[in-house]
Amino acid sequence: MSLAADRCLGIALMGLAAFTAVNALSLEVPFSYDPVGPKAFPLGLSILLGLLSVVLVIRPGENGHWPDKRLALRLIGVLALLLVYALLFPRLGFAISSMLVIAALARLFEASWPKAIATGVLMAFGGQWLFTHGLGITLPGLPW
Amino acid sequence: MKTTIALPAGLAALLLGASLTTGTAQASDDAECIAPAKPGGGYDLTCRLAANGLLETGLIEDPMLVTYMPGGIGAVAYNHVNGVRTDDPNLIVAASTGAAVNLALGKFGQYDASEVRWVGALGVDYGAIVVKADAPWQNLEELMTALQEDPTQVAFGAGGSVGSQDWMKAALTAKSADVDPRSLRYVAFEGGGEALAALLGNHIQVFTGDLSELKSQLESGDIRVLAALAEERVEGPYADIPTAAEQGYDVEWPIWRGYYMGPEVSDEAYQAWVEKFEQLAENDTFAELREARGLFPMALFGDDFDGYVKDQVAEFKQLAADVGLTQ
Amino acid sequence: MFDFLIEGFGVALTPLNLGLAFLGALLGTLFGALPGIGPINGIAILMPLAYTLGLPAESALILLAGIYTGAEYGGRMSSILLNVPGDAGAVMTTLDGHPLAKKGLAGPALGLSAVASFIGATIAIIGLTLFAPLLARVAVMFGPAEFFALMVFAFSSMSVMMGKDPIKTAIGAVLGVLIGTVGVDSGTGVMRYTFGMPELYDGIDFVVMIIGLFAISEILLMLEHAHRKDVDNELPPLGRVFVSLKEVLACKGTMLRSGVLGFIIGVLPGTGASVAGAVSYTTEKRLVDKDNTFGTGDMRGLAAPEAANNASAAGSFVPMLTLGIPGSGTTAVLLGALMLYNITPGPMMFSQNPEVAGGLIASLYIGNLVLLALNLPLAGVFAKVLTIPRWVLVPAIAVLSFVGVYQLHSDLTAIYLMLIIGVFGYLLRKLGFSLAPVILGYVLGGLMEENLRRALAISGGDTSILWQSGISLGLWIAAIALLVLPWLVPMLLKRRPSAQS
Repeated sequence: MSLAADRCLGIALMGLAAFTAVNALSLEVPFSYDPVGPKAFPLGLSILLGLLSVVLVIRPGENGHWPDKRLALRLIGVLALLLVYALLFPRLGFAISSMLVIAALARLFEASWPKAIATGVLMAFGGQWLFTHGLGITLPGLPW
Repeated sequence: MKTTIALPAGLAALLLGASLTTGTAQASDDAECIAPAKPGGGYDLTCRLAANGLLETGLIEDPMLVTYMPGGIGAVAYNHVNGVRTDDPNLIVAASTGAAVNLALGKFGQYDASEVRWVGALGVDYGAIVVKADAPWQNLEELMTALQEDPTQVAFGAGGSVGSQDWMKAALTAKSADVDPRSLRYVAFEGGGEALAALLGNHIQVFTGDLSELKSQLESGDIRVLAALAEERVEGPYADIPTAAEQGYDVEWPIWRGYYMGPEVSDEAYQAWVEKFEQLAENDTFAELREARGLFPMALFGDDFDGYVKDQVAEFKQLAADVGLTQ
Repeated sequence: MFDFLIEGFGVALTPLNLGLAFLGALLGTLFGALPGIGPINGIAILMPLAYTLGLPAESALILLAGIYTGAEYGGRMSSILLNVPGDAGAVMTTLDGHPLAKKGLAGPALGLSAVASFIGATIAIIGLTLFAPLLARVAVMFGPAEFFALMVFAFSSMSVMMGKDPIKTAIGAVLGVLIGTVGVDSGTGVMRYTFGMPELYDGIDFVVMIIGLFAISEILLMLEHAHRKDVDNELPPLGRVFVSLKEVLACKGTMLRSGVLGFIIGVLPGTGASVAGAVSYTTEKRLVDKDNTFGTGDMRGLAAPEAANNASAAGSFVPMLTLGIPGSGTTAVLLGALMLYNITPGPMMFSQNPEVAGGLIASLYIGNLVLLALNLPLAGVFAKVLTIPRWVLVPAIAVLSFVGVYQLHSDLTAIYLMLIIGVFGYLLRKLGFSLAPVILGYVLGGLMEENLRRALAISGGDTSILWQSGISLGLWIAAIALLVLPWLVPMLLKRRPSAQS
């Protein structure tokens, strides 16, 4: 399984190398004062990356366990939660969005409901106070 | 086990739906200035000039917020104001000549200079042509003659890439002596400080910088300023520096520091800001603040400033086409 | 000759200024310890405050310098405890610092790194006091060609990090360099890999990169450990709290060498704490790591970057105070602070404002003593962070990551980017990559390309400029030696016995 993962990675990296190379070649340069220009470096890198990924496909290394289905779901859950946090952050303000997301994250990490809610409330409002008054950082405020 | 995933996810989806309809949360009614850069740069300085000035002269009561929104020398903030906070009456955004250059080059995306409401400029700095104290050129004419003979013998350096306002200074200077800007030797550094260090280390011969960043080197006598790119001689420690025009070269490069507001801001809110700035510019306390930041006086507000910026952008567009930067 | 320093201590030892040095050190430690919130924020935020409070110039500068040095101390904490670098200079600190914490040695690791920070900073401050004007002249001798040679040297010294999977190390470094090419090309102004998004014009921000790569991927890995109830990933109970004298003494050579190296790199305008940490770590690995224990929790691997990043922080004051040219982003902000007081740092500063220059240097001495006194006894308290349950720790990391990125950008694109980089970092770690080469490639690659092209722009394409000066020639020879000697020496050693027989 791990061997296959490295092979997949190698193929994906070859794709990336091709993409960066094509993208670099299509740059339009009005003029450049140095003979190297902006294309050479990304081009060289994509060639290097292509070669290295060929080696990776031929001689894959070892790597760790992959998540089972339940873990994968939980990982996606965390990512979705962080994405939701990003969307709520400027809309509901720091304190409220943080409170909700902290409580939900704590639940995902197996805290009991009372503990999760207490963490959410304390950390969100404590954080709000610390950041704005203690450190003078501007954060989105309350929505009303 | 399953509930640990399902509940938060459901809760989150619900909240997301609810909040997407409510729009952006407003921090407060306090005035805010967006510095379209990281902390510490020229835009930060521009915002703090307005913030400290208005507070210390009593024109506003609560401190003004300064928010950072770096990206594309102002492009991110420009798009933000044109797309998200289009009518916020308490929001101003710092801008400068560099923003006008980028507008002219179309680097601010789909928007051009006529989109926003230009409020005013509170200060200005001027470009300068700098060589080391032991350089062979005593005045601009000698440098230009050397450049006309063989442009490859003189390496210019400044704190910005081709097409930036730092590069424009070098390109315009060359152009005023009928030297093709493309035939120059030009080195782009990360900021004026690095370029100045390269000049002191003899890696480049000419540095096209800004007057205000040269004060300490002028005092110590390490550098010689061949020309100030100003309309007329500036005051203070720079009074001895001749302008380029005096020496027969038609180059001016003022770097104004000003502000704009969103496109849908009401006329009243806009006018209120214009008046605040007009009062500020006449205040003596503010003059001290401005001087402490190395800026020279400039007072251009409301429609005058709006026209000034638009003219400038049009001029830069022509210029960019002339030097082959755009078609 | 040292009148300015005597005057400076007179200034710095007044109760007000002593108090400000203490406050600055404390706040700085806090700013540095929070991932994503670094000394630049601390200084940019407190600068107007100090000005409005009407503090005199030297007092304001003492407060701000305290924050700067404090942040370099604070940055190591989350590196060691959470495997998330607190600031730019602390990336290499994770490599041996976190494994030490996993062995139950968080307390000694924090203590040792405090000592290393102190020694590095002290070396640099002494260097600053004695040689500042001289060093300023040497620093400007570093032009594009010399910087390019320095970067070649740095990359070749990275070859020691190849470890057991050289292909993946190399791929990681290449990916890092590629990420570094995103944004406006600094030479021609051409946009590379920005896909028309203005948010990408300035490239991928360092803070977004570090937080995504380390903090977000760490959250995902923590979930995995929690899910599997991995016994081997449970942290052992906190053992001893204090670092022993023996451990400190074992690192004395490393700390001294790294301090000097870090100081020199800090003095050069354009290279800062992250480069200093990287070069010192790889150099020490080359010099002292005979049994290949670097990366598995070797005290010397922790001491090297910590001594170096603190030394480089103090070193970057040299170009600022003597030339008026900032050696780092943070000193650029400090420069702005001084200008508010109508003081222009530069060649005349030591004669025109000796109380400011001297006061600053004196306060650096005092601030470092304060920080050592603060950090050594508290190591045990900070180490308690490890006993915080995951359901508190993970939300805290998430909130800090968001606040750190949001206050820098006020923009959601940066947050999305952070999350994408986080997933990328998680995948890399699952696939057996180390993150250090990615970060190093990202930091060094851009400097390498820019300086190569600058050098060739100066010479008009003539490549001989790259090895014309003595400095660059020396660096080239050192770089080649680094690459060739490990192959050559064993070969020569082998040949000799065979020739005898």
